Amino acid sequence: MRYFLRRLIQAAFLLTGVSILTFLFSTLAPGNYFDEMRLNPQISPETVAALRAQYQLDQPLPLRYGRWVNSVLHGEMGFSFAYNSPVRPLLWTRARNTLLLTLSATLIAWALALPLGVLSAATRGRLPDRSLSWATAAALVIPDLVFALALLILAVRSGWFPTGGIVSVGFESLSPIQKFLDLASHMALPVLALVFSALPALLRHVRAAVREVLDAPFLRAAASHGIPRRILLYRYALRAAANPLISLFGFSIGALLSGSLLVEVVMSWPGLGPLLLESILARDLYVVIGGVLFSTIFLVAGNFLADIFIYWADPRIRTGKAAR
Amino acid sequence: MIRYRGWKQWLLVLAVLHGTIAAAGFLAPYDPTEQDREHPYLPPMKLHLVDSQGHFHFRPFFYALHPRDGSLDQFEESSGQVQPLGFLVSGRPYRLLGLVPSRLHLFGAQTSKIYLLGSDAYGRDQLSRILYGGQISLLAGLLGAGLTLCFGVLIGATAGYYGGWRDGLLMRLAELFVALPWLYLLLALRAFLPLSVRPVQAFFLIVLVIGAVGWARPARLVRGVVLSAKERDFVRAARGFGATDGYLLRRHILPETSSVILTQAAILVPQFVLAEMTLSFLGLGVPEPTPSWGSLLASLEQYSVLVSYWWMYLPALAIVPFFLGYLGLASALQQEISVEKIEGKTGGDVW
Amino acid sequence: MEARFTFGRWFGYGLLTAATILFSQPVTAAPQSTNEELLTLPGEIGKQGGRIVVSLRAEPKTLNPVIAADTPSREVILGAMQADLIHINRATQLTEPALAKSWKVSEDGLQYTLNLRNGLRFSDGQPFDADDILFTFRVYLDENVHGTQRDKLIVGDKPIAVRKVDRETVVFQLAKPYGAGERLFDGVTILPRHLLEKPYAEGKLSQSWTLATPANQWAGLGPFRLKEYLAGQKLVLERNPYYWKQDTKGNRLPYLDELVFLFVPNADAQVLRFQSGETDLISRLSADNFSLLSRQQRGFTMSDAGPGLEYNFLFFNLNGPGEKTSPDLARKMKWFREVKFRQAVSQAIDRDAIVRLVYQGRGAPLWGPVTPGNPRWLNTAIPHPARSLEKARELLKEAGFTWTTATDGGPALVDSEAKPVEFSILTSSTNADRTKMATLIQEDLKQLGMQAQVVPMEFRSLLDRITQTKEYETCVLGLVSFDADATADSNVWLSSGGNHLWNPSQAHPATAWEAEIDKLMEQQLAASKYDQRKKAFDRVQQILVENQPMIFLASPDILVGAKTSVGNFHPAALEPYVLWNVEQLYFKDALGYARQ
Repeated sequence: MRYFLRRLIQAAFLLTGVSILTFLFSTLAPGNYFDEMRLNPQISPETVAALRAQYQLDQPLPLRYGRWVNSVLHGEMGFSFAYNSPVRPLLWTRARNTLLLTLSATLIAWALALPLGVLSAATRGRLPDRSLSWATAAALVIPDLVFALALLILAVRSGWFPTGGIVSVGFESLSPIQKFLDLASHMALPVLALVFSALPALLRHVRAAVREVLDAPFLRAAASHGIPRRILLYRYALRAAANPLISLFGFSIGALLSGSLLVEVVMSWPGLGPLLLESILARDLYVVIGGVLFSTIFLVAGNFLADIFIYWADPRIRTGKAAR
Repeated sequence: MIRYRGWKQWLLVLAVLHGTIAAAGFLAPYDPTEQDREHPYLPPMKLHLVDSQGHFHFRPFFYALHPRDGSLDQFEESSGQVQPLGFLVSGRPYRLLGLVPSRLHLFGAQTSKIYLLGSDAYGRDQLSRILYGGQISLLAGLLGAGLTLCFGVLIGATAGYYGGWRDGLLMRLAELFVALPWLYLLLALRAFLPLSVRPVQAFFLIVLVIGAVGWARPARLVRGVVLSAKERDFVRAARGFGATDGYLLRRHILPETSSVILTQAAILVPQFVLAEMTLSFLGLGVPEPTPSWGSLLASLEQYSVLVSYWWMYLPALAIVPFFLGYLGLASALQQEISVEKIEGKTGGDVW
Repeated sequence: MEARFTFGRWFGYGLLTAATILFSQPVTAAPQSTNEELLTLPGEIGKQGGRIVVSLRAEPKTLNPVIAADTPSREVILGAMQADLIHINRATQLTEPALAKSWKVSEDGLQYTLNLRNGLRFSDGQPFDADDILFTFRVYLDENVHGTQRDKLIVGDKPIAVRKVDRETVVFQLAKPYGAGERLFDGVTILPRHLLEKPYAEGKLSQSWTLATPANQWAGLGPFRLKEYLAGQKLVLERNPYYWKQDTKGNRLPYLDELVFLFVPNADAQVLRFQSGETDLISRLSADNFSLLSRQQRGFTMSDAGPGLEYNFLFFNLNGPGEKTSPDLARKMKWFREVKFRQAVSQAIDRDAIVRLVYQGRGAPLWGPVTPGNPRWLNTAIPHPARSLEKARELLKEAGFTWTTATDGGPALVDSEAKPVEFSILTSSTNADRTKMATLIQEDLKQLGMQAQVVPMEFRSLLDRITQTKEYETCVLGLVSFDADATADSNVWLSSGGNHLWNPSQAHPATAWEAEIDKLMEQQLAASKYDQRKKAFDRVQQILVENQPMIFLASPDILVGAKTSVGNFHPAALEPYVLWNVEQLYFKDALGYARQ
């Protein structure tokens, strides 16, 4: 229990720290929206004055921060001037799109990394291991930006995949199966790019973790009992190697919202990344703060989840023996 | 002592690669900002040895390009005029490594311009831009990594050596920085800085921003090493002799961290080069007309460029050999560090 | 057996009837009342039916014509959903009768008597008459409503007054004679009194007619009426069965059944959709995309409608130094105020390269504010000097500048106090064309020894600097005249104008030449004859060229495309480029209608 409390407090501290940092950065930005609003005849000067008062741009910083925290706790995250809409629904839609991409990519990456990593560890030094090592090294050498652009060029030249967006025009009038296929074809390339960037490192970690475990005496004992190899590898070895992998999985969850910015921008996927980039460039204060906070919440939650998983999975933590 | 095997080869590879970029002035035939407004978006020119009459030329040559009839952006070779390629020619002046003035270029042509990798929207030679662009991107990566490691060592050593409240505070701060999505932080930091700065200032600003973001992980690692080194016998002995903190850190403890620092350097430099490329790609890097690998790729964001001008993608490939070199170096260093651990095992080849 | 058969039979008949109702063509002609005075349009006769899909770069913010300020809203409203009293034909650029079938101007130019068409109805069937006109103008001129057209309707510092003579005649009273009086009425959407009077009385007019308005609460006199709006996706308009135009065969226009606006946020995505056939028309193409599409004309035709009304320019910060101006900026402002400096910069700029590299040759170099797309007002006598670095250097020498050698061996221009001439050129980061122009100018100026830096900046911050803080040095921007008339850009040329970019909203003209421009603009505003107005405006152009507060660079052609099956496609150089004759567009084959 103390363990949980400690982690929870740490998480809360982190969130507070992040929110303060982002708030500070955003408010230091020169230029603000109200000047532009004044030029817009649609909005009467009284409205501008009222909004200014509401957002209290003239108050000292700590006070503004306090008010903002208060409003966030009530579910209000401010107003986006560029999109002419409150921030929260905007973030939600975009975050949902991003999650669609990253969840699929994470699941696929892990689903590939586990068996391949185990295979690589089990056949150490032999052909499967060597070829996988080479492939991993080759993939690590190509940065995501390069790979994503290459995929885009492929899409454009071959015409096999759409080159942007989340759905085609007339999506609503498609049948459910067609809708699914349409969405899948739009997701294919971004997911491929994300898997490509995540898989090599994951594979290496799985391999390293399993390798460490393979020399343990308990496995030799189990082998001598005649337990089949596959069960040995997956039920016994993988479980024992799970500790570092679970933290890794926690990090994967944490990066769900923030790891795909570049791919989303390059592939024109309407996710959180492009929104944040535009808002940063457009000085759309509350979207930036909201977006960064959202992603950080995920990161922190991911770490926290990882800690919970480890606690549940590894008895050594429960008895306080393993060092963190 | 820790033995390093194989890392020397990788270091050599990296030295050659960096040397190529450092010698951009010599290798590049033209100034990267020199526009040629008659020839935008030229495809890469071919070098020939045999001309249209079937004669063999000992010196490779190329044909000048002229626009195809009725088109402004489709070019074809004028097969009448042979333009020989010269080697070790005298061209526009430059300063090798910023210091040595010279006019010598590896190759060039007297009568016409040779675009080995094509030209961009303003008719600027892509080969020259890739070479000079590498200087910006690589330098930003190296300096940024250096800065981060400095921060990391400083903070990690302080936290590890002194312990107590300093340790707690610094490590919490480190967790904070690790928790932030670094790309977002990078973008936010860069975009909120004044936009109207000179290229040189912008460059250093970017280095600062990149360096300020990634110190947390090296700091943690250094702290770990310092913690364990602090308790070693020879350190205690030295302290017993009256050595000051500074002396201990300098002579005994920090050298222990050298392997960690070197490995981290090999890991961080390519990441930071990529960070600079990302910033430039998104328009937040060094401004025109200074090239950077990222800004060279930015033109690909336009659909028409993506479809029609495939050679604009080539700058993306420039970073691959560097990544390879750094990856190899990092692997070699890491392998050697864990050599001691592995030597003890019996192999585990049962599987 | 008997019962089943009977049931089956009636069921079958019922089904047949339902099918007939469902699948029959929608009624194309509303019952025509005998005294409806329709406008007959000449031109090709088209076929009824079909749906055209167009993409919009952003979602419109409102459907309320009074407060609509953003481009997508205006595009939708002015393109398809409104009618005005006197309309400017986008092809001829001249006025023609619209809701007013004829009009007379009084001798003193102060009274405009308009005769309205009889028997017209709004898109919901309600009758249209002079009371709607009175209501419309009352709303537009009401200060509390903050209408975007209000300024346009103030002539001689007094809002125009309208009174009703009878159900079909209205008289407009102006305080001063106004040369472009007829053109005032274009774009002033006539509002339905029966729907908007109540919100107006309650002070809620500005909040009416958002995009979420139910279709039955919207009405207009345009060729299309609101059908549905899907947030984030599209806006669907359907044919207005009461539209007051017909073709020469008596078929009531428009031919199309539906007009769909898709929201496609970026230009490249729009190109993709057009290529794949998802959209039928495309306009505002950049030169690159136009060339791209022209290379693969499969099922669609691309056309270059010639130069439009957009003019791009480089301008200098000519504001007087204030208390907050940094000494650095003040020093640079001194350079900018020197006419010869500006003229030298203009001489050094390679306008042909701009047209070639930025517009791929599809554009025109500019030396004055009026583009070749506006032939009625273009002053053909202004000089078009070729690029000359020697002349530029001479001018700089005369202005007291000299050259030294820079660190890289090239020439460096220094002013009379031996300070190097360096300045920044701001551009909008989202406009690739202007950033390209700025980069080309940077290179041109390098040859004069000037160090210029291109600083792409977010548009809002840019506007802030130019209009509010005045903290900038030079800037490359572009403007599009909304009308091919001299009055269209008064706000830019008048020293008191908000768009007088180099020194906006002056209380008194800062220089003699600005004062002269003010006087000439007043003259041409008041003059009633075209010749007088042209003379005055020609002189304005000449003064601008002599003094170069803005260095005019180039104007892009209007590049558009349409599916080959779209008939009556005649793109114009004025906005809306492809939809200005939307009531006459039709599909030559049945494909358009058959598409899901």
